[in-house]
Amino acid sequence: MAIVWLKGTIMKSIALISLALGLAFPAANHAANWTAGMKEGKLELKSAGPIAFGPEGILLIADTKAAALAALATGDTKAAASAKLTKIEGINQKVAGLLGTAADQILIEDLAVNPISRNIYLAVSRGRGADATPVIIRVKDGQPELVSLDKAKFSRAELPDAPTESAGQGNRQSNPRRESITDIAFLEDRVLIAGLSNEEFASTLRAVPFPFKTVANGTSVEIYHGAHGRFETRAPVRTFVPFKVGNEAHLLAAYTCTPLVQFPLSQIQPGAKLKGKTIAELGNRNRPLDMIVYQKDGKDFLLLANSSRGIMKISTDQIEKMESIEAPVKDGGKKGLPYETIESWTGIDQLDRLDNQHAVVLRRGEGGALNLESLTLP
Amino acid sequence: MVARAEITVRWLETNKPIVLVSGVDRDVNARALAVYADQGDLKADMSLPPMLGRYWTEPGRLYFEPQFPLQRGVNYRAVFRPDAKAAPIVSTFKLPLQVAEPTTVVAQIYPSADVLPENLLKFYVHFSASMSRGRIYDHIHLLDERGHVVELPFLEIDEELWTPDLKRLTLFIDPGRIKRGVKPLEEIGPALQEGKRFTLVIDKAWHDSGGQPLKGDFRKAFRVGPPDREPPDPTRWKIEPPRAGTRDALRVNFPDSMDQALALRMIGVPKITGTATLEDHERLWKFTPSTEWRAGTYKLRVDSIIEDLAGNNVGKLFEVDVFENVQRSITKDVVEVPFVVQ
Repeated sequence: MAIVWLKGTIMKSIALISLALGLAFPAANHAANWTAGMKEGKLELKSAGPIAFGPEGILLIADTKAAALAALATGDTKAAASAKLTKIEGINQKVAGLLGTAADQILIEDLAVNPISRNIYLAVSRGRGADATPVIIRVKDGQPELVSLDKAKFSRAELPDAPTESAGQGNRQSNPRRESITDIAFLEDRVLIAGLSNEEFASTLRAVPFPFKTVANGTSVEIYHGAHGRFETRAPVRTFVPFKVGNEAHLLAAYTCTPLVQFPLSQIQPGAKLKGKTIAELGNRNRPLDMIVYQKDGKDFLLLANSSRGIMKISTDQIEKMESIEAPVKDGGKKGLPYETIESWTGIDQLDRLDNQHAVVLRRGEGGALNLESLTLP
Repeated sequence: MVARAEITVRWLETNKPIVLVSGVDRDVNARALAVYADQGDLKADMSLPPMLGRYWTEPGRLYFEPQFPLQRGVNYRAVFRPDAKAAPIVSTFKLPLQVAEPTTVVAQIYPSADVLPENLLKFYVHFSASMSRGRIYDHIHLLDERGHVVELPFLEIDEELWTPDLKRLTLFIDPGRIKRGVKPLEEIGPALQEGKRFTLVIDKAWHDSGGQPLKGDFRKAFRVGPPDREPPDPTRWKIEPPRAGTRDALRVNFPDSMDQALALRMIGVPKITGTATLEDHERLWKFTPSTEWRAGTYKLRVDSIIEDLAGNNVGKLFEVDVFENVQRSITKDVVEVPFVVQ
């Protein structure tokens, strides 16, 4: 379990692979025109969430139902060094009020902070049934407001859903397979996506280059394609963060049975059997929900929200020297990177970094109320 | 003028109203009207944002049309306050809750057998109608033979693994409670234990898409058999070819039950269209072609990601002990088994 298999699927073009994944990790491309290839008009979503911010106020929205990824230029790019939020009680009621429905008829799917403006965005489902309407909400001055998708500037990339070829496709039956996206993140020039299928037990990790499209001879070309950048593991990634170890970009991924595994991005290559390095075992009965990285006193820490205990603050000081945990951890012990549990941070469903000193959390309050709170980073 | 202002609600459709304020000043500010969706909590209601919608005016009239259809049971409150000093004019309206008999049921749970392997990987729960998302795991329970609730047997993920129509839910057993070498297994034991009886309960408090509870609880009782540590091998399946000139079903018998969804999707006969079904607790795959079989050699084509009930793939066990065996080979993606139609 602690070693995670990554199995690349069949690749068709070496050039596209290196484009999709970057065999060497490129330096941040500050000169990039991030909105290149975006169009203006109505952004149609079938579902919304998870969400994450890319550069220049671009909100990345996973649309699981459409098996697509959207990038929305929010235009919310006025820089703020810090955020004003303290606490908004009953954010679910306020959102329901705005959308003209009852609080039990909305689901807050995800939360993300715009790292430029420090405004909080929510991916919301209005309704809980098959005909639910996805909505993007921005929280401003203590109140939610709708982010218009009708006159939007956006781009979109299809995610391949079913395996490229399935033997039974002559059956003429509709394909009930669907892949749920469990987390997304932006890193330098690509969107990283973790997903889980509702049929075969394979968790996937994909890298989609961003901007999604390049314009050659006037036609939009999707760089991302079927199998490119797709890897399988045998355990579902719940949440992950990009993280630099030394000078090399890695992914730190938390699995459902809570080992924390480190993957060097440069070595994630199609067809490779990659051995992820397990750098912490964090105990059982404990599902990771969300993870962020922050700095305090010049050191990097991870915060991992989980289902059953206070939030975990994990020190990354030793991450470079950490030996991979190669043997099962017995007797319920923890192993690897040291962590402390912040007991007062309980009931947390969603988490993001608000500014250098604060995290914002979506926290369960009394009577089904969900509160949006700013908490000082521990 | 203002004293004569009056709020009325016109209905375009059952859940689409237009709120009209008549008797208003010519230069009325549209924002003098706000419509709120009350949350039934006085404190919350005092600080609600107004509902989203479109405002417009005509001489002496102010209109508001909500952006979203109204929700049954919610109390809507229209407040017209042309200036801060004036007393507001308030009107409330609502769509009554519909009282209907619950009709939605659990139609089927796969695997359908009543003896399941100890290392079972998943259940598929099929409903007769679309269900509601959110906090679903509150309604799913695994009981042991004494009727005690088994603690956290399932992989609970917020995204919930539904089909797009919300009629089928995939319920994975927490892999940490199946595999060896993972702490939860060592500490709290596997969710399912050989020789014991369990009951999967879907409780009726779960609402369907229309907001109605299920017609009743659904219980699937089963006994746990030995773990399945044998990967499926299509070359050992018993193929019963149909006869040429008929549209008889091709029958393929598996020694053990297969994963229902994947068996329907991952097995086929290249270039032949038709309909696949499963029988005998997912041990028999039947394929009826759209046109008559012709004499000749065909291939049964099986995608190697097909799974048995324990999640074993063709040539690949689910439970590879990676501490002992890191050099697992990657198998090829498709297996083809020839058969002859005469």
